[in-house]
Amino acid sequence: MKDMLAYEGGWLLWVSCYLTQFFYHPWIGSIILIIIWILSYYLLLITTRMFKNKWCFILLLPFIFFLYSILSYGYWIYYVKIQGYVFYNSLLFFICVVLTLIICEALRLVKVKKFNIITGAILSLCCVIFHLCGTLWNISKANEFSITMSDDNFHHELSMYRAIDEGRYEDVIEEAKNLNNDQPTNLMVLFKNIALMHTDRLPEMFQINNCGITPKTDDSLKIRISQLAAPLIYYQFGQMNYAYRWAMENSVKHGLSFRNVKIMALASIFNQDFAVAAKYINILKQSVYYRDWAFLHERWIQSSTDFIQSQEYQTIAPLLNDDINELDTDNGFCERWILDHFSNILNPTSEKLEDLLICSSLWSTDEYAFCVHFHDYYQRHKDEHIPALYQEGALLLGNAPESPITLYNFPFDEEISMNFNQFVMDYNDYNSSGADKQKMMNLLKERYSDTFWFYYYFYNDFNIY
Amino acid sequence: MKILNILSTIALAALLFACTSHPSVPNGAQKEARLPKIYPDYTDVTIPSNICPLNFAVQEGAAEVVARFSYPGGEQTYGKGSNVLIDESEWKDILAASKGKSITVDVFANINGSWKQFNSFKINVAEEEIDQYISYRLIQPSYVAYESLTISQRDLTSFEEKVIYNNMSVSTEEMGQCINCHSYQNYKTDHMLFHMRQAHGGTMIVNDGKLTKVDLKTDETISAGVYPAWHPTKNFIAFSTNKTGQSFHTKDLAKIEVQDTESDLILYDVDKNEVSIISELDDELEVFPTWSPDGKKLYFCSAHFEYHNDSIAKETEMINRFKEVKYDLYCADFNPDTKQFSNMEKIYCASDTAINKSATLPRVSPDGRYLLFAIAEFGCFHVWHNDADIMLLDLKTKEVKALDNVNSNRSESYPTWSSNGRWIMVDSRRDDGNYTRPYIAYFDKNGKTHKAFELPQKDPNFYTFFVRSYNRPEFMIEEVKVSPKEFTSKALEEPIKAKYVK
Repeated sequence: MKDMLAYEGGWLLWVSCYLTQFFYHPWIGSIILIIIWILSYYLLLITTRMFKNKWCFILLLPFIFFLYSILSYGYWIYYVKIQGYVFYNSLLFFICVVLTLIICEALRLVKVKKFNIITGAILSLCCVIFHLCGTLWNISKANEFSITMSDDNFHHELSMYRAIDEGRYEDVIEEAKNLNNDQPTNLMVLFKNIALMHTDRLPEMFQINNCGITPKTDDSLKIRISQLAAPLIYYQFGQMNYAYRWAMENSVKHGLSFRNVKIMALASIFNQDFAVAAKYINILKQSVYYRDWAFLHERWIQSSTDFIQSQEYQTIAPLLNDDINELDTDNGFCERWILDHFSNILNPTSEKLEDLLICSSLWSTDEYAFCVHFHDYYQRHKDEHIPALYQEGALLLGNAPESPITLYNFPFDEEISMNFNQFVMDYNDYNSSGADKQKMMNLLKERYSDTFWFYYYFYNDFNIY
Repeated sequence: MKILNILSTIALAALLFACTSHPSVPNGAQKEARLPKIYPDYTDVTIPSNICPLNFAVQEGAAEVVARFSYPGGEQTYGKGSNVLIDESEWKDILAASKGKSITVDVFANINGSWKQFNSFKINVAEEEIDQYISYRLIQPSYVAYESLTISQRDLTSFEEKVIYNNMSVSTEEMGQCINCHSYQNYKTDHMLFHMRQAHGGTMIVNDGKLTKVDLKTDETISAGVYPAWHPTKNFIAFSTNKTGQSFHTKDLAKIEVQDTESDLILYDVDKNEVSIISELDDELEVFPTWSPDGKKLYFCSAHFEYHNDSIAKETEMINRFKEVKYDLYCADFNPDTKQFSNMEKIYCASDTAINKSATLPRVSPDGRYLLFAIAEFGCFHVWHNDADIMLLDLKTKEVKALDNVNSNRSESYPTWSSNGRWIMVDSRRDDGNYTRPYIAYFDKNGKTHKAFELPQKDPNFYTFFVRSYNRPEFMIEEVKVSPKEFTSKALEEPIKAKYVK
């Protein structure tokens, strides 16, 4: 608060931020916003004395623009630097209206003749125009508006984020399965695979669309996964330092948000950096919606038993490999770093991590890393059934000339072997018939889209953003 | 008349409300044979006789507390909820009466309905005063990103803090501005500087009160000036020039490593606007220059580092071998008339296998006898190194000792001396390991350091919620006179290009 109050108008920013937390339940936040608008409208009517005027609906214009500017934010919500922006403009407008009303009434008191409607209307109009100029800027980005309003992926990303944050992994998987369009964003793929990983179903990753695309936005916005969700993603992958770092970086750039403070608190607890964890928990205790969360997690600091027995620890701990510290950098590309990092780890300390290493190498199509991990995996699980995905990978990559392993006598499932042979035949047939890549993809999609082979051949140049 | 009566009643009520209430010492409090847990920890510290009140919070889960301050010639009580908030004017009287003596503090706490009295502690009041002002950069402890930064100054005799320069006054949505490394000549502010990077970049120099903005990057130097040291009597500024990179630990709590792949030392002649090289030795990473008080010696740090692998980038090799970078302390004679440096010698070999550490951030005491520096296992950016401690080198006896009363199990860095040499200020992360706070310690005439205390704040819980670090705290004997507005308008101008001379 002190930080905000240091600036002119900082108190308005603080109030806006305070009210924004009520959007934790969208309907409460919306009601508060509507109340502010109704009050502003009512005061405008008083100021202009247009209660019974047939043109009084014109005074609704500012609120339409406010609504429009909020709805058109889309991916800008991650980048906008005005904290509490949803309320900021409306509150500023409300204050302008109140001031206008006071000036008008004061002038009326000193009996300025013929003031009533004309001057009041002019003042109100100035007030409205002032704000319209700001919102017109949004209108100029009409393309973006149409994109974000109709972009299902944007909405899926938001709900998947919240589901992961709340540990509702099954909901994430369901959402990924039931997409209306075929092409999820890379972030949705990441979320889906995190959910699969934490429900011990990571080998199913290619059965639910794993081919991500970049979000549809206008050119003025350079979307980065690191800014959209890196703290949560790194945390879910057990990379506490990187989770903390990105929560801090994003807080610096776009303001301290509850979601980032939570991640900094969690990462610090996992790092046993309890003093700074307590700092963030103290901050969260001041909030309306994260107060209970803060008290619950404060117990983790006070009692290691509570912490170790918690669901979150049980979920994340298997990924906390006892590997040595590395000095590295993700250059702002968290997806790339995660894939590379887990592809390159050796000697996993849990089965969950074991799956993650082998799946990361398939996901990033790192052939050498896959072969190494597959070899290790097979040595450790000789008497068990090897997941279909790993067999698919081995069939495709294991016999390559540069492969460090031999698949002689490997007990592949007959069905998978036959399917692979059929895929090779189909691929070669279409290829020799002169079909281009896109056409081949369409032809093979129905039968093989849930296999690693399809991903390998038709999705090997995905954009990292 | 009626209105006058009402107004005077309101004024009287306001006056009464404004006056500090002094709670009574509770009767029959049960003795608790230990010191109370208070924050900030002011137990048995030695403070300057002109410092602002040491408000503190009692962290005993008490509903209410009373602190009794017994001092020569009187006593006074304070307490508001679980906090002890001291009236500023009364505190001045207490300090005046206690100069060169001690204040005894008894803390009483009402815990679950019963009063407890803890062991009393002393606050020693030194004869010597502290410089009235300090300045620091307020920054969120981020890694690469930056947004809103200020260089601010704080009056140590009160709680007043003012902004010297706020980068948001010129930053834009498209391009922000980073500010860093403020420095003063001899604790005075009519000769001072700080850097600005990115938007409207340049070095802001106040020369005899006159403001200029210069670009210190020349074709012959590897960067613009970075870590500065203004000569104590002449208009020369020694700078390091650095090629700096950042990388990130996956496990280590330090989280980040800030490394120089190249660095040299330059001298900037403020009056002539000329840059010359002080040192650019191959395989040496020179950094952190600082002058002796007479201006005849320049102290600095240097790490010997040879790149072995031409097939990879220097940055990559530096990352791979980050633990091998260890800085030693050096000294060179300086002739202010000829601007020549000579007789460079190593005065402390931290990299020696017996020590195997890295020494940085040297600062010489105003009497020239002692040198403070920070030490850690490796590297140059000790503010992020949890093992970083402050050491004291006696330049006369060459004895080196750790300042145990100043150090903690977290990072200590950026040591500096007050103008009278009786106070040491360091940046410490002992509170929570991530946010740096200024700590001040008394350095007595016998060269003994006393227990450090945290920069007092009006609200004792201020640091608990404050999410910025105090970076590079510096003492000043006067306020910065150039206004933020003047800095801003100069910042928007194009910088004057410095000339390179051999």
